[in-house]
Amino acid sequence: MADAPPLDAASLPATFPPIQSPPAQEPLRFTGSGSEYFRIWIVNLALTYLTLGIYSPWAKVRRMQYLYRNTLLAGSGFDYHGKPIAILKGRAIGVGMILLYQGLTIVSPAAAGIVGLAIGLVMPWLLLRSLAFRLTNTSWRGLRFRFEGTAGGAYRVFLLWPFLASITLGLLAPAAHHAMKQWQHSESAFGRTRFAFAASTGAFYRVWLMTAGLAVGVPVLVGAVALVATIIGWADADLVQGMSNGGIFLLVMIAIGGAYLGLLSAMPFFLARMQNLVWNRTSLGPHRFESRMHFGKTLHITFTNMFLTIVTLGLYRPFAVIRMARYRIEAMTLVPGESLDHFVGRQAADVEAFGEEVSEFFDIDIAL
Amino acid sequence: MNDIPSAPPVPCDYLDGTTTRRRRVVLRVEDGHAVVEGEDIARRDPLSRVRVSERMGAAPRLVSFPDGAFCEVRDHAALDALLGATGFRESFVVRIQARWSWVAGALAACVAVVAAAYVFVLPWGAEIAAAHIPPSAMAKLSEQTLEALEGRFFRPSKLPQDRRTVLARRFAGMVTPDGDQVPHELLFRSSPAIGANALALPSGTIIVTDELVALASSDDEILAVLCHELGHVQRRHGVRKALQSTAVGLVTTWYLGDLSSLAAAIPAALLDARYSREMESEADAYGARMLRANGLSPTLLATMLERLEGNRKPDASPTAKDENDDDEGVGGYLRSHPATEERIRALRRPAD
Repeated sequence: MADAPPLDAASLPATFPPIQSPPAQEPLRFTGSGSEYFRIWIVNLALTYLTLGIYSPWAKVRRMQYLYRNTLLAGSGFDYHGKPIAILKGRAIGVGMILLYQGLTIVSPAAAGIVGLAIGLVMPWLLLRSLAFRLTNTSWRGLRFRFEGTAGGAYRVFLLWPFLASITLGLLAPAAHHAMKQWQHSESAFGRTRFAFAASTGAFYRVWLMTAGLAVGVPVLVGAVALVATIIGWADADLVQGMSNGGIFLLVMIAIGGAYLGLLSAMPFFLARMQNLVWNRTSLGPHRFESRMHFGKTLHITFTNMFLTIVTLGLYRPFAVIRMARYRIEAMTLVPGESLDHFVGRQAADVEAFGEEVSEFFDIDIAL
Repeated sequence: MNDIPSAPPVPCDYLDGTTTRRRRVVLRVEDGHAVVEGEDIARRDPLSRVRVSERMGAAPRLVSFPDGAFCEVRDHAALDALLGATGFRESFVVRIQARWSWVAGALAACVAVVAAAYVFVLPWGAEIAAAHIPPSAMAKLSEQTLEALEGRFFRPSKLPQDRRTVLARRFAGMVTPDGDQVPHELLFRSSPAIGANALALPSGTIIVTDELVALASSDDEILAVLCHELGHVQRRHGVRKALQSTAVGLVTTWYLGDLSSLAAAIPAALLDARYSREMESEADAYGARMLRANGLSPTLLATMLERLEGNRKPDASPTAKDENDDDEGVGGYLRSHPATEERIRALRRPAD
């Protein structure tokens, strides 16, 4: 009805929040709750099982929407637009590829090798489609994100760099990781505004080296403490009798435990430091980001999540997902260079879900 | 009725889908139309062309129009009142997500499905898959297993050559219960570490320890154990077990996701224990049938089980696949004497 007069500000209800000029900082907020996510997760999991998996794309879309819409920037939520049918198609093709490969390994291992090689060769392209699908189907305030990386770039970062990293026995792995993040972030855009990425290769090497130091250092430290304790135990005359075998066994167990502890603490360390590094060096037009994840807090969340997931036989998992998501999201802040009202979009072509789902099927995920 | 709106207007943000500019608007329903009014905007769309997103906790709800524009609503109570007035009904899934009783039902359904998959589908799938594994792959697998055991647990047998030959000949002369050929090879090894035991590899290689030969009071008792082992080979237990543990391991690793493989290995190992017991019973049944087919009594196997049970070494290696009690891999506390007793009773039961 065109003749309805537009309301002026004075006639708006009193509950309306006042309009503010853009603040200096816009911390991301996350309003998801574990108990809500648990209910969504379990109901959709049951529906997936009862439909023999056909419902799973709908379940996924609902989970993604819950996480995206509960992530708020400057009071507005993100949104996920993936279409279940597109995802179902991608999954069907993924299952088909696996069955073809598995079937061939029985009938003709040589043919299976060729198919496996072919799958490996199209993998960079699949990963590119996966990135494009995910970003194109993400929006904030109604504007879609985009990914403009080319196939050439995908083969460079997902095939050439990993190859270089492997022939140098991992020495170039941090450089390869840097090349991938550089490509991924600088080829992303929000509406017509491009992201930019300015982290140095050296900074990636630092995080990788510190992580390796933690993974090796913790077991060495634990082992040393255990060794000293054992020697003291042996020195105790009462314990010497018949204890030497048990002592060595204990020492070995402690060393294995130390190795696990090292690896387990290295993972959250890497996660926290990498998110900080990547986002502190990412900008979007005049806006930049800050990420302040702390190792101790990340470690605490990781360990308690793991413990509770095991003692609840897995039922805690959705709560764990929400806890970690909240921490990672709320560690982020956008520092606006101008008002956030000025982004402009452009028409995005539909991107098929094929890439994302297929690469997910092969358990390749590109975090962050 | 008149055109007075039945629910108060809902304050929200209007976004046109082409810029990030937020317009403060109110949304109301009038004559079957959604009406948006506010900063520089006034639009009116038939309700049939308007979509409302699901309620997702505290997240803003989206009232979307066909051209990509939408209203972002944070006042859930006001929107619920408005939707209620239009007769809007949340989808079935959203309604069951909101009720804990339905959630509990969904949880029970999930547990039932997973349990059924574990109890019925997994063994069935492993059996089918095992039948398709080429003999060359099984030979390779067995070769590697034997190589790993050879140096650590096995020494060359000290049994006289003619004693070994007699046993091998007698076993080779036995007929299988189904009359089919089960390719196999008999190996003798001394193993102070494992003690009296016999084990079957997927390729058909059956290893008997000198200690087992010494424990038996007659050759018939040794043959009884060999028949049982041939049951493992014929039923492809080794491969099936490997496939099942791999599948359980994969699923738990996938499920636990960000957790380490250590955490995933624990449930996998625990879940693995069940199969062993069933496979032992299957091999017992096969062994019993084979003994009968050759004019021997299944009680020979029962006697041998009793001897093995009595002879059990408390510190027997948990890595070797144990003959008389496979639960050992899980830890001593789960060692199931009742299971062995049950097996012995089953063997002593007269045949139908």
